[in-house]
Amino acid sequence: MPPTDIFTLEVLRDYLLIGAALFALGILGFLSRRNLIVMFLSAEMMLQGVALTLVGFGRYHGNWTGQILTIMILTVAACEASIALALIVILYNRRSSLDVTLWQDIREAGVPATPASLITEEAEPVDAAPGPESYPHLTPAGVEPAHPVEPWIERRS
Amino acid sequence: MDVIFQFIGSVLGMTGTYAVLLGGLGTYLLLPHRHGAIRPRAAHGAGLIAVAVGLLIYMTYWRPPGLFLPAVFLYIFGAPSLIGAVLTITSRDPVASALWFASVVLSTAGLFLLAEAPFLAAGTIIVYAGAVIVTFLFVIMLAQMEGKADYDRAARSPGWATLTSFIILWCLLATIATLKTGETIGTGIHHLARNRMEPEKQLLRSRDLDAYIGSPDATMTSVVRRAVSPMSQIANLRPAEGEAAANPDAPSVMVHRPNVAGIAASMYTDHLASVAIAGALLFVALVGAVAITNPRMPVRPSSSDPAQSAAIGSIRP
Repeated sequence: MPPTDIFTLEVLRDYLLIGAALFALGILGFLSRRNLIVMFLSAEMMLQGVALTLVGFGRYHGNWTGQILTIMILTVAACEASIALALIVILYNRRSSLDVTLWQDIREAGVPATPASLITEEAEPVDAAPGPESYPHLTPAGVEPAHPVEPWIERRS
Repeated sequence: MDVIFQFIGSVLGMTGTYAVLLGGLGTYLLLPHRHGAIRPRAAHGAGLIAVAVGLLIYMTYWRPPGLFLPAVFLYIFGAPSLIGAVLTITSRDPVASALWFASVVLSTAGLFLLAEAPFLAAGTIIVYAGAVIVTFLFVIMLAQMEGKADYDRAARSPGWATLTSFIILWCLLATIATLKTGETIGTGIHHLARNRMEPEKQLLRSRDLDAYIGSPDATMTSVVRRAVSPMSQIANLRPAEGEAAANPDAPSVMVHRPNVAGIAASMYTDHLASVAIAGALLFVALVGAVAITNPRMPVRPSSSDPAQSAAIGSIRP
């Protein structure tokens, strides 16, 4: 009779529950946030949830397959990070913003567009910090020199 | 009609329903959005309280392992990972999002350690911490507004997104919470027919499948034989040695293989094709990233001059 394993089904269930919650929250972040970088982080969080599930299953079955599949997930995540960050740099250089709704002109045919005015109306108002603002007062000296408005566009092309 | 009422009754009778409801409500309030006439600070406070209560109810589903320290560390690593996940997707400041995601990764690595995967814990911290630090640098370079940007303060249809993802979470919870172990149903060849008819109703450990070797189903036998091969096991049974060996009733002991050596042995025998595919994938991603970041000047059909069409392509905001 083999000795009983302390990693019982109840412990496996903990891992599955935490992994499921991470996955669902990652979906929520990817669907609702508009910052490209936060969307990228949410996708990575979904991968974390799946990795947790795989490691738990591998430990429950007592073989290495779960851990090896997680190493494959790490590989895919590294590829995803390189491609996604390259895309983010390119997209930022085109529109000088990380907002993903600026790219809705490449959406599927037949899907209605979100007007930009609606987005601005729905933005949360900024809470003013209590207390008086204090900025250092600098004496202006000389004439403001002429400088390019968008230096990064000149640098790219 | 009775079926519908029964279903609603069973849904409302599940504790997890309230955890999912409270968590969804709290996350909706925490997401950056204009919530009518409610002041943002009041909405955040209510959202935080709702998420905390929902998480506490969700944690009642967790069953800690028998030993004291693993049980403590399960809660120490499990709860912060979920709190960090909520704060990652609701922070207005992308820098804060990246830092909260780092906390999620660290907690997950701790859970890997608890599941006896130390190599993966180290690998996750190294790979993800590297990736997160690179992302962090991107955030600092690209987003100078520090959470004051419009698009960081307005989520895209937060209500529908919350509803979708928390319905998915509820379905996963309802599936996982009713998992049964194979031992309650029984193992052995005479249970084979029933087990194969209802595979999703139970979870057999692969090392409990020894009984299936020699069953009439040839496919089943080969699958099981591969699953229980000694090379792919974390720990192998070995008869007791030394003084205990003299006693015929002495229990055999589980001999654990070293972690890295075991992973490597299994990876280069059972999963050799996956290693080759992963290498090819990394190579393609490398080529792709280089090709994306150094684009050639696009030549439009209307003009043959690359410089001119590049001027058309670049958009001044």
